[in-house]
Amino acid sequence: MTHTTPETPAPALVSRRAAEVAAALFTGALGATVVVGAREYGVGWDSAGPQPGAFPFYLGLIIVAASLANLVRGVLAGAGGAFVDRDQARQVLAFFGPIVAFVVLTVTLGLYVGAALYLFGVMLVQGKYRWWIALLVSMGVSVFFFVVLERWFQVPLLKGPLEAALGIY
Amino acid sequence: MENLNSLMHGFGVAATGFHLMLMVVGVLLGILVGVLPGLGAPNGVSLLLPLTFSMDPVSAIILLTSMYWGALFGGSTTSILFNIPGEPSSVATTFDGYPMAKQGRATEALSLAFLSAGFGALAGVVLITILSTWVAKFALRFSSPEYFAVYFLAFASFVGLGGASPFKTIVSMMLGFAFATVGMDTISGSLRLTFGFSELLNGVSFLVAVIGLFGIGELILTMEEGLRFEGIRARISPRDVFATIASMPRYWVSLLRSSLIGCWMGITPGGPTAASFMSYGLAKRFARNKEGFGKGRPEGVVCPETADHAAGTSAILPMLALGVPGSATAAVMMGGLMIWGLNPGPMLFIDKPDFVWGLVASMYLGNVVAVVLVLATVPFFAAILRIPFAIIGPVIVVVCFIGAYTVSSATFDLWLALAFGLVGYVFKKLDYPIAPLVLAMVLGDKAEDAFRQSMIMSRGSLAIFWSNPLVTGLTALALTLLLWPVVGFAREWVRASRASALRPLSVRGAADEATGGLSR
Amino acid sequence: MKRITALALALAATVASAPLAQAAWQPSKPIEFVVTSGPGGGTDTFARVVQSIITKHKLVEQPIVVTNKGGGSGAEGYVYGKASAGDPHKVIFGTNNEYLLPLVAKLAFKPDDLTPVAAMAMDEFLIWVNGAAPYADAKSYLEAVKAKPEGFKMGGSQSKDTDETLTKLIEGATGAKFIYVPFKGGGEAAVQLAGAHVDSNTNNPNENIGQWKAGLVKPLCVFSPERLPAGAKVTADKGWSDIPTCKEQGVPIDQFQMPRTVWLTPKAPDDAVTYYADVLAKVKDTPEWKEYIERTSQTSRFLSGKDLKTFIASDEEKNRKVFEKEGWVVK
Repeated sequence: MTHTTPETPAPALVSRRAAEVAAALFTGALGATVVVGAREYGVGWDSAGPQPGAFPFYLGLIIVAASLANLVRGVLAGAGGAFVDRDQARQVLAFFGPIVAFVVLTVTLGLYVGAALYLFGVMLVQGKYRWWIALLVSMGVSVFFFVVLERWFQVPLLKGPLEAALGIY
Repeated sequence: MENLNSLMHGFGVAATGFHLMLMVVGVLLGILVGVLPGLGAPNGVSLLLPLTFSMDPVSAIILLTSMYWGALFGGSTTSILFNIPGEPSSVATTFDGYPMAKQGRATEALSLAFLSAGFGALAGVVLITILSTWVAKFALRFSSPEYFAVYFLAFASFVGLGGASPFKTIVSMMLGFAFATVGMDTISGSLRLTFGFSELLNGVSFLVAVIGLFGIGELILTMEEGLRFEGIRARISPRDVFATIASMPRYWVSLLRSSLIGCWMGITPGGPTAASFMSYGLAKRFARNKEGFGKGRPEGVVCPETADHAAGTSAILPMLALGVPGSATAAVMMGGLMIWGLNPGPMLFIDKPDFVWGLVASMYLGNVVAVVLVLATVPFFAAILRIPFAIIGPVIVVVCFIGAYTVSSATFDLWLALAFGLVGYVFKKLDYPIAPLVLAMVLGDKAEDAFRQSMIMSRGSLAIFWSNPLVTGLTALALTLLLWPVVGFAREWVRASRASALRPLSVRGAADEATGGLSR
Repeated sequence: MKRITALALALAATVASAPLAQAAWQPSKPIEFVVTSGPGGGTDTFARVVQSIITKHKLVEQPIVVTNKGGGSGAEGYVYGKASAGDPHKVIFGTNNEYLLPLVAKLAFKPDDLTPVAAMAMDEFLIWVNGAAPYADAKSYLEAVKAKPEGFKMGGSQSKDTDETLTKLIEGATGAKFIYVPFKGGGEAAVQLAGAHVDSNTNNPNENIGQWKAGLVKPLCVFSPERLPAGAKVTADKGWSDIPTCKEQGVPIDQFQMPRTVWLTPKAPDDAVTYYADVLAKVKDTPEWKEYIERTSQTSRFLSGKDLKTFIASDEEKNRKVFEKEGWVVK
């Protein structure tokens, strides 16, 4: 996976080196968590083979070791250009921010309402659609999934206060 | 010969107008549940199950299996169009299928996938027809050590040593194994790595991880590059479908090899998911020119799809003959079998030949029906890509989260999918390979269970992995495949250093090619 | 439009029925059947059979949705039930693992968190050996095991669950010592026995019947006070009633059964408990239920109310003894 950099690179917001270091620290921390968690269950080898914690324990150790190697390589590799520049970061945040909002809305208001609000907002603000098109599409998608999942296939999704108020669920 | 006669009899049972109608209905419903997020073959089959209580068993199983075939085909559709695998076994199809769709070759990719899947399925049924008795006996020879060796083999054939950044591969793979250990441990009956969170009781779901890593991660990447689907302006015509049909013979080596891998993994307990990964890995390893894998190479679609369906169909046999369901869908169908008053087991073939051979015959017909129907839908699905990205992008996001939620109806999984999306984005940008993580999650807990069961059986002695010819052969083959790239590397290195006396510049190129065995 | 009408109707109904509110509880929205096993498991079949009978005979007005929450040997489903405290539209289907799991694993629910509704059937346990094994009865098999401690492998479903508990009980009662090998489910244990990779298992009738028909495995004895009811022959010359009880064979274990249980969420109103118990009692009397019991060779035994509580207390006590002896109990 290579990514073509623009002809005139925008100023780097996060350097590749910083990103490598952060990723290595993150995986290292995950590995350490696994090691700590696994120690609770016994990490030895008895007559019944490895104890429950043994496999995760050594996995964790390998993750920590390999993360350290990645950390060293990341630091030594030099700055290595941009991980994201300003323009890319703006694009990513403009896309990712609403997703986070969508999940928050979903958890509080249910999936159908969350999805409708999310689609409406994104189409209105980013897609620059007229409000009634956005409204139609977002409502349409939610109702479509509601009918198909809840009514036809009887797969219940997360529901919130609105569905309860309507007496649907 | 006796089997062929039985099969002819089976065709007599299966090929009625009513049954053909059931096949069409089943396949269409199956495609629907396969394409829709959060619905898979298990949902569809369990929903139809009550309808079948009043049917005769042959008609009932034809309806349910046809739905299963349809769902498998539908699952590949979302892999190719949106990078969201509908079924675990279509993960490997995303590697080259999605890049092809992005390049505007969605019609070709979909047609290739369906045709090779149909080929694989037929290969699986042929195997069942010819070798049913033998296969059922052979499957009985597998115990925990053999299971472990098969998983090890699947893994070794996909992930080799070497590659651009071995440490990143190791981190990714080991994280996958670690995620697979979360939750209830079969062998000790205790919970592991849940840190007291009830949300982690069920473990980290493989499907949620895949939806995040592939679906959401890929979308973020697409946004960052400021790209839209490049397929928007691609012309979509039914003629492309026929052109692809005509090009199929070109891939005969891939088709044949992948069918063999698929059948093998289907009758041994490897299963369709492992089969598709293994087939992809071997395709890449045996390719003379390794360029283009992961960037939209047709073989990258043909191989996993063929193996997936060959394994999926040939796995029906051990299910019927031994009563062990190979997948959630098969488990639901087996529940149905019992409700219809049939007991899966070796005697089923003798007690109910009408049922068994009617089913086998319906597998031939059902898959042909499925391929035809699904090919007819290709232009329609490919047209989805024409919808502006500002609409389809967010809709895919919604689809991803619906899919993540329905895995186990847990709010926690929504956050998990979000986190995996972020991890997928960062990992892709920093060249951490994601496929080894996914494969490790699929095979990790099964492999660990099999290993520890073997250790209990042998009182802690590793010698059990070469205690009989079958397991010894499997272990040896797996080790060979695992070490193959190292041997290749060493050979190339020797040759290159000899050559370097003459042409110093050639070293790099040769070494690069030799280490190409590592997946993305 | 339809929805508004429905809303109006619902309101009208509420107003109209207000004076009768004390009378009987009725479900007011779709009911969720929570299955504490994966699709295809014994508990799954149990719940789906109940669902299909209720739907067929229209015993409940509201639609019923089945969801599988089998994570952590079923703990996932119980924790989910606990989290929905007070919601009488969630019905949880399980076995005795509701009160046994929390003994052996640290879980986020306690046995008395959920409200017991009914036990509907008892699944039986047998000792099975490979069809080609040279043992004609339980006595000679257990003698052979006793003569060679840790020389025989007993396969079973899961760890510290019913199969391993029974294995420990057999060991305690006879002095034999097995190597217990846990598999994911009874089906796997059945195939491992058919392939002679383990020497015996303690599967339920339903899990081994296919292999028994083919002569790949054979039953030695059943853990019940009396022989199983006579039915059609399974093999050429044998049926369920031809299997001796383990007690006849000199294994001093009277009875070992696994109840199929139904629960409601914590703090569910008593009216609702009565309502579901009544519905399930009607289910038990249908021909479809009888057919399910016969097909799976379970024993029909319907318990609710006080009887059920007494049964649970004694079943837990029996199992706890084994768990404590084996050191499985977590604090």
